[in-house]
Order: sequence, then C-alpha cells, then structure tokens
Amino acid sequence: MSEPTVITEAEFQKFREYFYRKTGISFDDSKRYFVDRRLADRIKATKSDDFRSYFMLLRFQSSGEECQLLTNEMTVNETYFFREDHHFDCLVHSILPAIVKHKKDSVPIRIWCMPSSSGEEPYSVAMTLLERWPGIHDWDVEIIASDIDTGILNKARIGIFSERSIRNVPPHLLRKYFTKVGHDYQICEDLRNAVEFTRANLAEPLDTRNYRQFDVVFCRNLLIYFDDISRRTAAETFFNALNPGGFILLGHSESMSRISSIFNVRRFPESIVYQKPTIIP
Amino acid sequence: MALKRSHIAEVQPELPVQPPHSLPELKAQLASSEAELRRTAILELSKHPDSTALLTAHLKEEPSAIVRETIFTALARLGDATAIASLADCLRTEDANLRNGAIEALKLLPEQTARIIPKLLADQNSDVRILTISILESLRHPKVESWLIEVLEKDPHLNVCGSALDLMVEVGSEMSKKAIEGIKLRFQNEPYIQFTADLALKRINKA
Amino acid sequence: MKRVLVIDDAATVRMYHRSILEAAGYSVEEAVNGMEGLEKALQTPFDIYVVDVNMPQMDGYGFMKRLRAAEVPQAPAIIVSTEAAAHDEALAYQAGANAYLIKPVKPETLLTGIRLLLGESVT
Repeated sequence: MSEPTVITEAEFQKFREYFYRKTGISFDDSKRYFVDRRLADRIKATKSDDFRSYFMLLRFQSSGEECQLLTNEMTVNETYFFREDHHFDCLVHSILPAIVKHKKDSVPIRIWCMPSSSGEEPYSVAMTLLERWPGIHDWDVEIIASDIDTGILNKARIGIFSERSIRNVPPHLLRKYFTKVGHDYQICEDLRNAVEFTRANLAEPLDTRNYRQFDVVFCRNLLIYFDDISRRTAAETFFNALNPGGFILLGHSESMSRISSIFNVRRFPESIVYQKPTIIP
Repeated sequence: MALKRSHIAEVQPELPVQPPHSLPELKAQLASSEAELRRTAILELSKHPDSTALLTAHLKEEPSAIVRETIFTALARLGDATAIASLADCLRTEDANLRNGAIEALKLLPEQTARIIPKLLADQNSDVRILTISILESLRHPKVESWLIEVLEKDPHLNVCGSALDLMVEVGSEMSKKAIEGIKLRFQNEPYIQFTADLALKRINKA
Repeated sequence: MKRVLVIDDAATVRMYHRSILEAAGYSVEEAVNGMEGLEKALQTPFDIYVVDVNMPQMDGYGFMKRLRAAEVPQAPAIIVSTEAAAHDEALAYQAGANAYLIKPVKPETLLTGIRLLLGESVT
C-alpha cells in the first residue's frame, strides 16, 4: 500500500502563490484539504516522485498541459440553471439599462453565451429576460449560444435537464417553462426555439468571424481552462464581437487582469463586468 | 417585442469563408484609418508565414493600444526569429504599453525566447535586465534556475538581483543555495533582500 | 483597522510589504497588477494604496488614473518605483499619487509614509 503524499505547509504556500499568479484564484487555509488532496492525486497521476518534482513539471512543462489539467481539478465546473445568479441580476438591473440608454437604433439587442454547454446558461438568460426585464416589451433580444462540441449542442437543443441542474429554478418558473419527463425536466418549446445554438471554436478566429454586433457576452468559467495564448485570442475575439460599449461577463473566479487590458473594468452593484470602450483608443 | 431567433452564418469547415487576401492587399489594409480594418488585416496576416517583417514594421507605427495588442498576439503565433528579435527590441522602448506587450508575447514562446535570454541578461541597461527576469517568471524552460543563479552571482544592480531573488522563491532548488547565501552577504543592509533570500532558503530547505 | 491594498506583480514584494504593514496593525490585501487592483478597489475601496509601477496588463500609472476617475471614495496612494528620476516622480503625482518611494523600501520609510498620509502619528 503506498503512502499518501503529504503536502507540507511550505509546499502549500508555494503552490498557492503560483496558482494565484496564474489564475487569480486564491486558496485560503480552509481549503487546505481540498487542495492537498487534488495535488496528491496529480502527483500520483503524473508519476512524480514528490511535490517538488511535480511542481517543476507544472512550472516548466512547455505544453502547459498539466497546468490546465490541474486547473480543471481545482475548479468546480458544474453547470446548472441560474449559476452565479448575481450575473442575471446585473443583466436586468445594470447592463441592459446601460445598453438601452445609449441605443440609437431599433436593431435587436444581441446576447452571446459562450460556451452554451448543455444550455442552462442561455435558457437562464431567456427566462430572466422574460420574467424580470420590463424592457422585453420594448426591445427585441436575440440569444446565440455556441460551443465547440456538437454533441452538447444537440443536447442543449433538446433541452432535457436533471433535477440537479434545475435545483435553483424557482418553483413558479419550473411550472411555467418546464415539463416533467420521467425524472427529468424539459424546457418548453418556445424557449428552445428562442435560442440559436451554433458550433464555434473560440480559440479559432476563423470560426468566429461572423460573430459581430453583440451587446452582451457571457463567457463564464471557460477561459480559466485555456492556455495563455488562447485566452488572449479569445479576449480579442470578444472585443471584435461586441459593439462599442458592449459588456462581457466572466466567471466569478476569473478576471481580465490575467488576460488582457483591452477592456475597461466597470463596477455595477451586482458584479464587476468588462466593457468595450465606446471610443476605440 | 420579445425574444427573437437569430441566424449566424456558420463557417463551413470545408469551404473558405471568402478568398484569402494577398499580402499586398493586407499591407494596404494596415494603412487604413479604421482600427477595425487594421485589426482584421493583422488577424489574417498572422496566418501568413511571410508577414513577420510587415507586422514588426507596423508595430512601431500603430497608434491604437488595442490594435497593438493584436499585433503582439499575431507575432506570438508566428514566433519566428524575426518576431523574437523585434519583440526583444521593444524592451528598450520608453513606451510602457509596447514594453509590456512585448514581454507578454515573449512569455508565450519559451523555446525561441530562451535563445536570446543570456544576451538580454547581459544587457548594459539594468531595466532591460529586470524586464528579462519578468519574462523568466512565466517562461517554461529548464534553464531558468541557472540563469537566475548567474544573475545573483554576477549582476551588480540591487533591483536586478531583487527581481531574480523574487523568482528564486518559486523555482529555487538545492543548487541555488550558495548564490542566495551570497546575495544575503552582498546586500546586508537591504531588508527586502534579507527577507526574500530567507524565504527562498526556507522553501528550499523544507521542500 | 485600516485597510491597505498592495499592488505589485512580484509575490515577494507583496509579502514583504504585507509583513511590514501587518506588524504595524494594518489589514492587507493584494493584487498582481493594476487591473486586478482596480477591480478590488472598485468593489471595496481601501484606506490607502501601495502601488508598484511596472506591471503587466495595467501599470501603476494606469491604475492611478482610473482610480482617480472612478466614482468611488478616494484614498491616498503611494507609488513605489525602481526609477529614481525626477521625471518619473512627476508622472506619479500627475497620475494622482500622493507620495513616491524608491524600491526596495525600508520598513520605516514605508510606515512613515503610510502614517503621514493617513493622518496618524508618525512615531
């Protein structure tokens, strides 16, 4: 029976600083067990002799693959309806009013969800708009949701979700927009028809060249899994995709500060968001 | 007014979206007064292996910080010797934006950048040496530690050594101990140096 | 307890400043560059800022200008720089900083600066 790897305090500090520098995610001492266990798993999986040699791999591997694998392990990547609901509050209370205030045309407001994953996010956006934004009576809104994985796109179009996935949906919305299918829930046809699901690879500029004139981008908990150059490419893609003054929201543990300075930081009561400058400097 | 279904023309993987522009066409587009057009020209150029010289020349003239960032990303994708040389050149400029952009780009190209590190670490200008160490901070290369040891042993400048020491805390191993102890002796009256050197030694001894 | 935001891309400089400031009874938070610093300052304004100049994504001057332009409660800021030139000091004040120190900073120097700017007794 092999001994479980023990991570010392000094090693934990070293790892914590490195991870914070790279991702902006900070682990306090209460996360010790969480971090230690995952480090031990990766040390074993990479057949490293000890923390030190694992850290060298992490730090110096030129592909950066282990770093991404580890990031995957260290972050919670479950999707569900109304995940990080303060973003949806922000959308209706701050972002859309700001967009509408400066809108000089009657072209639909366009929102891009990337990735679509299995659809929870774009459908959450749709429900939020219909239920909580008075402006939906005055403006048309288009929701486009994209993903690299065609399988998951199909799943999203079908729109059947588990109990776990709908756990944060308020009961009255569950009744209104979903029908029970066995143990699962299917979102209603109107909403399935309201979202356009498309295939696109964010790291490939050629794929996204037609994505333009968006007012809002949701890109939550995706960039954290990208390598440095793909992240920059993604930031530039979103920049191109947005209208001047358009907004982009990242996941709560993500920040443009690790990626690019081309966006302005805006603070709304509900969230920090990033905005494409209205005048391109 | 309501939710409306949109239609994005999806890119067909087998067909090109439009015929690719030629190098002369893209060069002309780089001179456009519209930032968006310059940016799209650069994105296309990043796929042309012969475009490095063109991008490099344009870098210094580009007025928009955002378009410049696109050039840096393009140069990082191209990553040839000309790209590296022109990025390294940017370390000398007064323009902080240009400097930082170049550093970010160089960090993305470990193998190519590694070749010019020794020369940069020997530069006359202490600022260039400090900036080079900041490249090492994210550089994935096995020689990083030995380069840092050499800085600690030979560089006369306090802040250059300070930067090297900072990085040592992360990458330092048994083989760096002597150099770290040496720097402690050299800068006995500098509390930051003592603090950081002690931290580096503590990490090496405990790990 | 007064809250200080230390902004520097070097982890050990942040740790060094933290050790000095915590020993003197201040509460310290950190940011690795001007942009992260700005995000933190916008969310919960601090009592005083200690800001490095050369940082990726957004440098100290970039941070200062945006902080001063933001609609948040303002606070004093100390710029900490490797540059000893008068020109750079002038830039710092133009950007909205209140003091300019050369790094590496001695503990007493940093604390004196902080106390003066916070209107606390210096001894």
